Amino acid sequence: MAPVAQQVASQGRTLTPPIPPSAPAPATGALRHASPLARGLDSALNTLVRFFTSLRLTVVCLALALVLVFFGTMAQDPLGLYLAQEKFFRSFFVSAAPMWAAIKKAFEMLHIYMHPSTAADVLYGSKLPVFPGGYLIGGVLLINLIASHFKRFAFKASKAGVWMVHAGLILLLLGQLGTDLLSRESALHLREGEARNYSETEREAELAVIDTTDPQADKVVAIPQGKLMSSKSISHAELPFTLRIKNFFPNSSVNNRTADATDAPPASQGVGARATVKDLPRVTEMDKRDVPSAVVEVVTPQASLGTWLVSEYIDQPQSFTWNSRTWQLVLRPRRHYEPYSLQLLKFQHDIYPGTDIPKNFSSRVVLDRPDTGEKREVLIYMNSPLRYAGETYYQASYDEDNHGTILQVVHNPSWLTPYFSCVLVGAGLLVQFATHLVGFTRKRRTA
Amino acid sequence: MHNPLAFAPESSYTHSVIVLSCRASKPGVTPWALALCIGVFAGCGRNDIQVYRVAKAQEAGLPSALPQGHPDISAGTGSPTLKYKVPSGWQEVAPGEMRAASFRVAGRNGKQADVSVIPLPGMAGSDLDNVNRWRGQVGVKSVSSEELTKLAQPVEVDHQSAQLYEQAGESPGSGDKTRILAAIARRDGTTWFLKMTGDDALVAEQKPAFIEFLQSVTLPSATAQMGLPASHPPIDVGSQLPPSHPPIGGAGMEAQNAPAASSGQDKPNWQVPSGWQETPGGQFLVAKFLIRGAGDAQAAINVSMSAGDGGGLLANLNRWRGQLGLAPVAGADLSKQVQPLDVPGSQATLADIAGTDARTGQKARLLAAVVPQGQQTWFYKLMGDEQVVEQQKEAFTKFVQTVKYP
Repeated sequence: MAPVAQQVASQGRTLTPPIPPSAPAPATGALRHASPLARGLDSALNTLVRFFTSLRLTVVCLALALVLVFFGTMAQDPLGLYLAQEKFFRSFFVSAAPMWAAIKKAFEMLHIYMHPSTAADVLYGSKLPVFPGGYLIGGVLLINLIASHFKRFAFKASKAGVWMVHAGLILLLLGQLGTDLLSRESALHLREGEARNYSETEREAELAVIDTTDPQADKVVAIPQGKLMSSKSISHAELPFTLRIKNFFPNSSVNNRTADATDAPPASQGVGARATVKDLPRVTEMDKRDVPSAVVEVVTPQASLGTWLVSEYIDQPQSFTWNSRTWQLVLRPRRHYEPYSLQLLKFQHDIYPGTDIPKNFSSRVVLDRPDTGEKREVLIYMNSPLRYAGETYYQASYDEDNHGTILQVVHNPSWLTPYFSCVLVGAGLLVQFATHLVGFTRKRRTA
Repeated sequence: MHNPLAFAPESSYTHSVIVLSCRASKPGVTPWALALCIGVFAGCGRNDIQVYRVAKAQEAGLPSALPQGHPDISAGTGSPTLKYKVPSGWQEVAPGEMRAASFRVAGRNGKQADVSVIPLPGMAGSDLDNVNRWRGQVGVKSVSSEELTKLAQPVEVDHQSAQLYEQAGESPGSGDKTRILAAIARRDGTTWFLKMTGDDALVAEQKPAFIEFLQSVTLPSATAQMGLPASHPPIDVGSQLPPSHPPIGGAGMEAQNAPAASSGQDKPNWQVPSGWQETPGGQFLVAKFLIRGAGDAQAAINVSMSAGDGGGLLANLNRWRGQLGLAPVAGADLSKQVQPLDVPGSQATLADIAGTDARTGQKARLLAAVVPQGQQTWFYKLMGDEQVVEQQKEAFTKFVQTVKYP
């Protein structure tokens, strides 16, 4: 029994071997006669290295992550999925307002009820950072993992398993960062017979400035919502004028301007001259979305051409002509074009006979890619998506009349990293265990 | 149908390179190579402006991509009752956005002129503002209101008098000699702009034909007034999805089985008091009722619904006060202006205001009830002749209190 107990103890140590007290830091000897400043820097560096390689930091980060996940989950009730994600996980710090919203929700489990926070309370509430956010905890954990790995483990065959486990964990963390930064979800809505070569992100708008002068093709300059919200003035090499963003409403309603309206119309040109626009609180429910609007002024080097109200409510492009070229302005869900199109042939909604219980939803589409000549039929149904050119098309929803389909389009370049990292961690654990097993059996044989 | 060939990015996506580099990295590659990606991620500009070319959408060949029940948006359906005689040499073209009618006139040497007929609700700005805007378009200086009266030339539009304004100059954008002939006619709360713009000499030559065209026009009746572009789908006052909009987000069965988002225009269940006559209320009202009193006296009830708080009580109260020619009140005085109204399951508010109707100049009274219901707010407004409103006050409050919401 004793050897087994020793082995378990030694296994524990292999992951975090103590630093031999006699081992001096390599540079310390050389610095013994150096200036006080250099010595101070050296000791600061040592403190930093000790901090980032400490196992305590790992434990603290994991504990903080646990708390963050708990409150981040609580906050999804009052704030909705997207806002909670943004405030808790896609941030370096959680500020006071979203944390308070989550705490109030958590108290409900103890039957203590307070007035729940709204999205507006959080968006316009206190920005005081009160807790580390997902990026900070994940980032520190990543640095901690890499730093302690390189400090404690030399590359030896006997440590190959540990290397693999750590590489797998690092890949997992980086893969999630990659997913966070690079993945994109959009929707493709097709009626039967219709073909489209773009999908749309419903929750993000873009201002498309379209030069329609060429009779063959339109040139589109697509300005994403983020830019509209953060910029006062937008210039681009492809635009012979500057766009001044006079107002941006993340959620709004647009109505006809009544004949007796006394306030000024939101814009001087187009629909805006006879409409009113109202700023609305942002919605948090999953089944609703914001309808953004903006007031945009077109300024040429000579003069301003006026202001236009653009809104997702106004689905017809508004035109103007300048310098013999015709332009259109339209605020629409952000589009993602592909070099191929999908055409819906038939949407099928099968039910179990004699009931209304859905059995299967499927869309028969034609994939047409002119540049390669590829043209084939594909059947997309539940749990059997179409994976093509880095996009995955899932059967997501359908039109009420059963003649239209909605495909969810997921673009995630790092979708394979969790699989790779799990295999790597699993294999690493096996290798490490096998290494010890071999060593242990050898020892037993010699004993 | 869209031509899929049409997509050709002119400036490459900055992140596509990174996407490829991440795709190429295999798990066996040292983590440092991956760590390098972090540095490059900063360049993955989701907020970058993209430029690309797409083939013109040939909508005519496309099966309708509009939601089910969406009105037809094909051109030309917006002005069913606008009638006119097309002068010789004018080519009628699809009216397009905002226009009720549109023509092209070709002159010599490729010179062109464009004729438009645009209806706008209300006053659509004063004549002075409009004329000065047109003057700006041909690069001549603005005029004062005294000078404006001298510029106005009387013409006939639909057998009624209207003003014609003529301005000529050089277009500030292109430097071309340009002339604008524009007539403004006001009918039944709608302002009609009939305008010819184009090459200076051509427009001057076409002036008699334009005046002849103005005389031939028959403007539509009040019921056919247009607000948003012709055949624009009804605008939902809330922030919910438009009617028949496909569900978004959740791909689960629940989302699939859920009915399409409510249009917000569904009428609640209510008992209409006797003497209230329901009339078409327009696209932003859930319902409208008319009540006739003695003689010409009348009052109207407007019922509307808005997502959220509909702009808040104070803003709405001040809007109503504006309709009665009263100055706005400050937030601190709000509680003095309104009283709570007992509505089951809601904290409703009633405002009672008297003043002078800004549109008619007659003395008027306004009773408005604001009823929050979940994520929506319902507005009930009774406005009209003071005596009619007083007689109907009880029926109105009872009506508001007994509405059953969907």
